[in-house]
Amino acid sequence: MAISRLLEKFLFTVKQFRLMSGRDFFINRYLQLGWEFRGIKARQAIRINQTNAKGKSILERLLSVGVKLEKIPFLDSGYWVSGSKVSVGATAEYLLGLYSVQEAAAQIPPALFSDLKGKTVLDACAAPGGKTVEVSDLMGNTGVVVALDVSKKRLAALANHLERCHFSNAVVYNMDARSASKLNLKFDKILLDAPCSGNFASDPFWFKRRTLKDVERNSALQKELLCEAEKCLVPGGELIYSTCSLEPEENELNMDWAVKNLNLQIKEINCYGEKGLTDVFGQTLDPSVAYCRRMWPGLTQGFFVCKLTKRGG
Amino acid sequence: MKQLLLFSSQFGAKIVLNPELVLERSKRYYLVSERLKKLARGNFYAAGLYLGKIKNGVFFPSFNLLNMLVDVAENKVILDKKAAWLFICGRDVFRTGIMRVYGARGKGAFTLVLNDFGECLGFGRIIHSLDDEDARVVIQNVLDVGDFLRREK
Repeated sequence: MAISRLLEKFLFTVKQFRLMSGRDFFINRYLQLGWEFRGIKARQAIRINQTNAKGKSILERLLSVGVKLEKIPFLDSGYWVSGSKVSVGATAEYLLGLYSVQEAAAQIPPALFSDLKGKTVLDACAAPGGKTVEVSDLMGNTGVVVALDVSKKRLAALANHLERCHFSNAVVYNMDARSASKLNLKFDKILLDAPCSGNFASDPFWFKRRTLKDVERNSALQKELLCEAEKCLVPGGELIYSTCSLEPEENELNMDWAVKNLNLQIKEINCYGEKGLTDVFGQTLDPSVAYCRRMWPGLTQGFFVCKLTKRGG
Repeated sequence: MKQLLLFSSQFGAKIVLNPELVLERSKRYYLVSERLKKLARGNFYAAGLYLGKIKNGVFFPSFNLLNMLVDVAENKVILDKKAAWLFICGRDVFRTGIMRVYGARGKGAFTLVLNDFGECLGFGRIIHSLDDEDARVVIQNVLDVGDFLRREK
């Protein structure tokens, strides 16, 4: 009896998995959201570390070793690698911290903060540290960045990244960002590049790996992270929320939830991407969700970004 | 802290660090600002500028520290492009690859290794006098920036 019940449960789980996962399932979802699937692979990109590269002809130096670059029109310091005789992650210029290898869309969130110099900034889910280094760079190595990550293993990469780029304004903790308020600090700016389900443009096995269950689990975690971030933010402070997921549960629906349940409001941003969706599978969202930016895979990988501020500033 | 200063003196460099702003965590040393010091609670993973670590009683410098030494060190060599590339690949330095020498030239001395832009690629130990025209390999690679790739493997 118990075995047959277990078998029944197992078959139900398999059925659910088949119903709520797979390439066709997700492609159909994207179609419902207004985007027709195209198989796209994210292009390799780099970001010049302006603090370190000041006065150095970095583009000419890279060209001389066979790295051809193409300016990314919507980024200040971003370049696509249009051809290279060498690995861009192994040149002398990379090892000297003059640039970082960072996908185009991933360069957008830190650039959305206003006036970072001298501020106290929280990078809530920081490892492996690409955005932490970008924030430090935009701050001109002034102020303080508190970088947290729950994985100690990944923090080694973050520390290496900071050392390679010679930034000295960060303090790093092995800590779950859901406990960030235990630091007893208030932050002027918070970057919440939340753990997410990812997208097919940066993971060729994405459709085989992911189910709607994963998306729902990540969405719940992201809500917890948003709650904690709001607690740690000064009134009027800025919170940049981003994911590399295409699923609205991790993006627009979370932002709709945040403006309705937390002391946060969405600010209009001017960056690459389409307006956030305000009609998701028949559900109408707060109109301010349109201020978010959704990047369907194309010029960039799949990405979502939103700027929020804490009310009362 | 003592070992850090001893290490620096091997290059003929004197660096002045405020001991109150040097934090130690798991035998790793960090230079922090006053502001950062207030935020770096006891259990931090890393803070400020990583200076180096002590392992089995030996001091291992960071590249931040080597960079701090560039302006104050007496012992430096500048390599041509090919020798610089080979050096960051972990190779020793051939006499023919050296464009300029500052400070020590004799066997046994430690020297910073720079590229032709004056950027620090690491350091090495002179194993044959830099004036010895018969010697081929003259500087043994001790540490180079290619280590960033090796340590992640």
